[in-house]
Amino acid sequence: MIVPLTHLLILASILFALGLLCVLIWRSNVIMMLIGIEIMLNAAMLVFVAGSNHWGMADGQVFALMIMAMTSAEVSLALAMVVYLHRRKKTVNVDEFRELRDQ
Amino acid sequence: MEQTLFYIMATVIVIATIFAISEKHPVHAIVYLVTSFFALAVVFYLLAAPLIAMFEVIIYAGAVMVLFMFVIMMLDQGSPEDAERPPLMHYLPALVLTGITLVSLVLLLTNRSPVAAAAVAPRLVSVKEFAITLFNQYGVAIEIISMQLLFAIVGVLYLGRRRKP
Amino acid sequence: MKTALELIILLPFLGAIGNILLGRFLPRRVVEITACSVIWGSFFAALYALDTYSAPAVVEVGAWLTSFDLKVPISFCLDPLALSLCLMITFVCGLIHLYSIGYMRDDPGHVRFFALLNLFVGAMLVLVLAENLPLLYLGWEGVGFCSYALIGFWYKEVKNATAGRKAFIVTRIGDIGLAIAIVWIFKVFGTLSITEVNRMGQLVPMEVITALGLLLLLAAMGKSAQAPLMVWLPDAMAGPTPVSAQIHAATMVTAGVYLLMRMFPLIGVSAVVTGAIAVTGAFTAFYAATCALAERDLKRILAYSTISQIGFMMLAVGCGAITAATFHLIVHAFFKALLFLGAGCIITALHHEQDIFRMGGLRRALPGVFWPFLAGALCLAGVPPTGGFFSKDSILTAVWAKGGMFYGALYLVAMFAVFLTAVYTFRMLFVVFGDRLAANSLEPDLHGPVKPLPGIMKIILIPLALLGLVSGIFNLPAYLGNGLLQSFLAPLNAEGGHLSHATELGLQSVAAIVALSGLAVAWWYFGRQRRAMRIARAAQPPTGVTAFLQAGWYVDNLYSLLFIRPYKRLSSILWERIDEGVIDDSLDRMAVQLGRTGQGLGRWGSGRVSAYMLSLACGATLMVGWFAWVVL
Repeated sequence: MIVPLTHLLILASILFALGLLCVLIWRSNVIMMLIGIEIMLNAAMLVFVAGSNHWGMADGQVFALMIMAMTSAEVSLALAMVVYLHRRKKTVNVDEFRELRDQ
Repeated sequence: MEQTLFYIMATVIVIATIFAISEKHPVHAIVYLVTSFFALAVVFYLLAAPLIAMFEVIIYAGAVMVLFMFVIMMLDQGSPEDAERPPLMHYLPALVLTGITLVSLVLLLTNRSPVAAAAVAPRLVSVKEFAITLFNQYGVAIEIISMQLLFAIVGVLYLGRRRKP
Repeated sequence: MKTALELIILLPFLGAIGNILLGRFLPRRVVEITACSVIWGSFFAALYALDTYSAPAVVEVGAWLTSFDLKVPISFCLDPLALSLCLMITFVCGLIHLYSIGYMRDDPGHVRFFALLNLFVGAMLVLVLAENLPLLYLGWEGVGFCSYALIGFWYKEVKNATAGRKAFIVTRIGDIGLAIAIVWIFKVFGTLSITEVNRMGQLVPMEVITALGLLLLLAAMGKSAQAPLMVWLPDAMAGPTPVSAQIHAATMVTAGVYLLMRMFPLIGVSAVVTGAIAVTGAFTAFYAATCALAERDLKRILAYSTISQIGFMMLAVGCGAITAATFHLIVHAFFKALLFLGAGCIITALHHEQDIFRMGGLRRALPGVFWPFLAGALCLAGVPPTGGFFSKDSILTAVWAKGGMFYGALYLVAMFAVFLTAVYTFRMLFVVFGDRLAANSLEPDLHGPVKPLPGIMKIILIPLALLGLVSGIFNLPAYLGNGLLQSFLAPLNAEGGHLSHATELGLQSVAAIVALSGLAVAWWYFGRQRRAMRIARAAQPPTGVTAFLQAGWYVDNLYSLLFIRPYKRLSSILWERIDEGVIDDSLDRMAVQLGRTGQGLGRWGSGRVSAYMLSLACGATLMVGWFAWVVL
């Protein structure tokens, strides 16, 4: 163990908080919101890998891989949707897309 | 030496991420983010997970971020210099909430009783061991993830199909 | 015996149910024949029961209520009292049914009328024959319901419906007494069988018996229209006349007296109770007689006379003279039915005119009604040797036989009531039937020609008149041979003093003289020449004592002041202040508040992804923050 687990977790917390901040601030831009989500997922991955290293088990790394696979699926779908929506409304502001709301 | 490297990398990660989220130009933000991910890959390597570090570089910094870049360039958003930063009203609640979350988390972590004391000796998790764990214990999870990828492909194809004029 | 009993009870109910279900599809004649034949069938069944009667019998027909130690079978008790009343009820009601055919000739609601009339008789028979108190209560309430429905029979006029409601509500006050008494009796004795309860009287303290007796008296007051619950009966005249006849003569109002007679072995041992019953009876007899003196509505006069006569019966019960009470009850049923049916004839003939001062000259116009009516009036006034004289005299004799200051005073009151009875009866007779003076311009011919009456309405009066006149033979005084009823009802009577024949004869002559003097006074005031003067005077609004009596001593106004207005005010306070002001208002405000909250929350779900994000972050922050707060 190169550094205490706590330090790793604090780093992950900071990363997560930054991701959350990004999502909350960039309401007008759906791409930036997706970036914020990526940051948060990375923080989660960091926690898994740190745990795996701390207890000497491979399971954490397995989960990190799964997060990665899931993220790629999510990002591809989300970006496709962004393209689609942009084609319809010429904007990436999420607040413009509220057709799903029950009127 | 490794410790020093870790702290440097941690600093790089945090600073790059801050730049990334505060940048109003999406392309610049992506570049900062790639920097941050490279540093994170180094941290993974330091944590004796070379495979994950590799995937981080290949999939995240490579595929996902390129996808982002691709989409940003595809969308015609006008001149990025004209784009406005979000108004202050958006910042304030976000900062407050995030601050509270961060402080709570840090307090929780630092106040923790040292369970970590009983840590086993650090050892490298080999690719073989990783693979055995993955395919022995998490077979169902792999199936689910693959299904999810399939659905994503189908969804993307549907969204991106050419419409008749 | 069992078959006869079942027939007595079931036939009226069968008639009622049949008429309710099928009456609408049957021709009018069939409905009338069914309704009358079931009552007469019931009467013949009662005759058969009398023929085969040997000793009191309890017949259990079926199970009704059975849970734990509460056992209430449908069982009927046939003893002399019940049997004699059954005969009277079915006979008189049968005649009234026949009369109704004529009276309701043109009424479109005849199916409902006959069904209710049958049901009325059935309920009364259940009441009379019931062996246990809940069954008696069933009949009691059935009678109350039927009277309510029949008094308000022409419910399209608000006045009639109100009279029905008044009867129902006032009798209900008494019913509460009966209900409490029944529950209490079960608590004390562990059984509800009347025969058993009557045998167990000695086992409980006197105070309990007194309280039970007073509760039963309250019930009887309500049902029999005794003071202070007598206000409903005069208003009950709103119903069709046969209904009035049935209520007054045979069914409804005698129920209270019957209840007291039934329970007399239990409650008779308490001097307080018998005293209270006697005082109630005597006072009511006096009160109603005075009211009848000033009343001008023909049917209301008869209603007051009923209250008064029932008062005499109560007085007899209070003196322990069950025979006398039963005797008077039966004779009263005959002559009161007669009077009411006669009044129905008069009113129909005069196109629904009920004010006696607007009648007159009917002796010549309606001789077929006059003679039976005269017989009824003689009975009511107690002129010897009619049945009414003997029955009333037997009551007075019983009061005299009790002796003492208390009963002596009651005797005087009763005697005065007898006098008043004679006066108001013949006042009515003279005014209604007396000859008009041709020269008197104050008496215009108000009604045009007299309307012809259906034959059956007049024919019915004749047997009733004969029975009223000769019913004295049912229970002749001791010096004329033994009374039929006296020996039949012997086991029921309380120990009373036996008077010598001379005393009895003396008392009877006093009563006769009093009644005849009443007749003379009535003649003095309302005979021939003076009649016109009285009628002329009656055109002016009443003053002084007359007004007081005409308004029934203002009892209605007193009750309105004492109970109804405070009750209404209380209800309006409860309604407007409490219910609307507090409960409704607080609920309204709560609803409005909730609605606003909902709208506020609804704004949250605006469809804006950013708002959702922010909420999600808030929630997460709250959870993490709270977790930190708890752990640290």
